[in-house]
Amino acid sequence: MVDKSILLDNKKFTIGIFDDSDKLLHAVKTLKEKGVKIFDCYTPFPVHHLDHALGYHRTNLTIGAFLCGMLGCLSGFTLAYYMNVVDWPMIIGGKPQDISVFTSFIPVMFELTILFTAFGMVIMFFARSRMIHGIKEDLLSRRQTDDHMVLAIDNDEDQAISNDDILTLLKKEGAIEVNNSKEAFNTSLTSEEELAKLLKKPKAPTKAKTSTKKPKKK
Amino acid sequence: MYTADIRQPLVTGGKTYSDVTKDVCRPIENKPTPSWWLGFSIAVLLLLLLAGTLAWTVWEGIGTWNVNKSVMWGWDITNFVFWVGIGHAGTLISAILLLFRQKWRMAINRSAEAMTIFAVFCAAIFPLFHMGRVWLGYWPLPLPNAFGSLWVNFNSPLLWDVFAISTYLSVSLVFWYLGLIPDIATVRDRATTKARKFWYGFFAMGWNGSAKSWGRYEVVALILAGISTPLVLSVHTIVSMDFATSVIPGWHTTIFPPYFVAGAIFSGFGMVLTLLLIARYVMNYEDYITSEHLEAMTKVILLTGSIVGLAYITEFVIAAYSGYEYEQYAFANRMFGPYAWAYWTMMFCNLMAPQVFWSKWARTTPWFIFIISIIVNIGMWFERFVIIVTSLHRDFLPSSWVMYHATWVEVGIFLGTFGLFFTCFFMFAKFLPVINMAEVKTIIKDKE
Repeated sequence: MVDKSILLDNKKFTIGIFDDSDKLLHAVKTLKEKGVKIFDCYTPFPVHHLDHALGYHRTNLTIGAFLCGMLGCLSGFTLAYYMNVVDWPMIIGGKPQDISVFTSFIPVMFELTILFTAFGMVIMFFARSRMIHGIKEDLLSRRQTDDHMVLAIDNDEDQAISNDDILTLLKKEGAIEVNNSKEAFNTSLTSEEELAKLLKKPKAPTKAKTSTKKPKKK
Repeated sequence: MYTADIRQPLVTGGKTYSDVTKDVCRPIENKPTPSWWLGFSIAVLLLLLLAGTLAWTVWEGIGTWNVNKSVMWGWDITNFVFWVGIGHAGTLISAILLLFRQKWRMAINRSAEAMTIFAVFCAAIFPLFHMGRVWLGYWPLPLPNAFGSLWVNFNSPLLWDVFAISTYLSVSLVFWYLGLIPDIATVRDRATTKARKFWYGFFAMGWNGSAKSWGRYEVVALILAGISTPLVLSVHTIVSMDFATSVIPGWHTTIFPPYFVAGAIFSGFGMVLTLLLIARYVMNYEDYITSEHLEAMTKVILLTGSIVGLAYITEFVIAAYSGYEYEQYAFANRMFGPYAWAYWTMMFCNLMAPQVFWSKWARTTPWFIFIISIIVNIGMWFERFVIIVTSLHRDFLPSSWVMYHATWVEVGIFLGTFGLFFTCFFMFAKFLPVINMAEVKTIIKDKE
C-alpha cells in the first residue's frame, strides 16, 4: 500500500466535528468572514454550496473530458476510414467505399467518443484527487465517512484570530467535538482495541437488530 | 433542505445519517441470512446448468440448437436482445433521472446499475456462442490479422453492436464503480476484520470525503450521466438496426429504434421492480424503497408500456397500409399464424397488463406490482421472440418455410443466464452496499 502524503506529514490540525451539514456550512461561512484559512472539510456526503463557501473553483475536468471526447471521435473516424477505405476497401454489390460511406462510420465514432470521454475523465479525476488502488486514506475522524463532518484548519498557517478563538467559535457554531492538535491517521494505523472501542457504540443497535431477526428465521 | 409539502418524504422511518450507514452495511458486516443462502444456492445451480449447456454446445456443436437455415436467430438472439434491454433501466435510473433531478432515484440507482452490468454479461454470452466457435470470439474486433488484412466491416450494424455493447458495459462499470467509492470507504472505516479492511481499503482508493474531492466527484458524475444518456439510447437503437437495416418483412421498419428503446426501458423497469420488491422485503429496506418509489417506477412502466403498445399498432397499420404483400403477410402471420399464441401473449403482457397502473391501488400494492412486473418480463421476452421467429420462419420462398422449437440446450442456456444474473446479484447484495449511502444521506430530510 502507498501512503497518501497530503495530511500524513505529521501535520497538526485544529478540527471541529459536526453532525449536521447546515451547521457545518454556517461554521465555514462564519470562519471565512473572520478571515480564518480553512484547510478542507470532510463529509460523508456531498454538502451543497460547501465548495462555494470554501472558495473552491469549479473543476476544469470538463475541459479535459471534452478533449478526450474529441480524441475518441477522431480515433473512431481514423479507425473506420483507414480500415475500410484506405487499407482494404470491401466492395460489396459494386457500391463505392470512399468518404461517401461516412454516415456508416458515425455509430462507431459516437461510441468511441463516449468511451474516451468517460475513461479519460474518470482517470483524470483519480489523478487529480490523488486516488489510486491500494493508497492509504488519511482520516481526521473515524466517522467522517459515516455521520460526522469534519472542518479542518492547518495549524501551520497564520490565522487572523487566535487558536482559542477558533475553538470557541467552532463550539458556538455547534461542533460536537473540537480538537486543537489532531493528526491524520488511517484505518490500518488504529489498533484492534481502539477499533473495538470506536465501533462499540454504533455497533450495539446493529447487533440487537440481527439478534431479533435470527430466531425468526430459525 | 428542499421540501414540497404535497410530497411524501423520500426516506421514511425518521432515519439519521448513522442509521443509513448501519442499515446498508448490515448485510456486509454480518453472516448471510438463510434466505440469502437459499437464493444463492438456487442461482448457483442454474449457473451450473449454464456451464453444462454451454459446454455441451461447444463440445457437440451448434447442431444441439434447433436454429436452422430459415430461423437462424431463434432463442439465442431473442435472449440477447432480452438481456440487453433489461440493462437499460439501470442507466435510465442513474443517468437520465439524474439529469431530470429525480431524487427518488437515489435509493434504487445502485442496484439498478448493478443489474445493468450483470444483464450485459448475460447478453454477451449469446452472440458469442452463436458464432459456433466461441474461441474465435475476438474476430469482430478491429484487430490486425493474418487474413490479408481483411478488416471488420464498418458498414454493418452487427459491428456497431460490438462497439455499442462493449462501450456500454465499460462505461456502466465505471459509472457504477465511481458511485461505489464513497460507500466502499464507509465500509472500510467501519471494518473490524483484517480482510475487510484490506479489500475495502484497496477499492476505496484512499477516499476521505474531502470537500475538494466531492466537488470534482459531482461534476464527473454529472458529465458521466450526460454522456450515458445518449449512450443508452444509442445501444438499443443499434440493436434495433441489426433488424431494421435488413430487408426481411417485419424487420425492415423505421419505427424500430424508438420502439426498441421504449421496450428496453419498459422491460428493464419490469426487472428492476421484480428485484427491488424481493430485496426490499428480504433485506427490510421498506424505509428506503418506499411505496413512493414503487409508484414512480410503475408510472414509468405505464408510460413505456403504452409507447410499446402504440408501436405495435403503428407497425401493424403501416404494414396494412403499405400495399406490400410480403409485409402484410408477415403481420397477418404474426397475428393468426402458427405463432399467434406468442403474439397474443405479447399483446396481453405488454399492452394490456400495464394499463392496470392507472389505478392508485395497483401502483402502491407491492404483491400486485410484483405480479405485473413478472408479466412484463415475460411479455418483453415474447416481443423479441415474435419479432425474430415469426419474421424468419416463413420467408419469401414457401418451400423453405419451417417451424422452430427450442431444444433443451437452448432452454437450458436461457435459464442458466438467470443463474449467472442472480449469482452476481446475490454476491453484490452480500459484498457491496445495495443502497447508495452517500446520496441517500443528502435526501433523508427532503420531500420531493
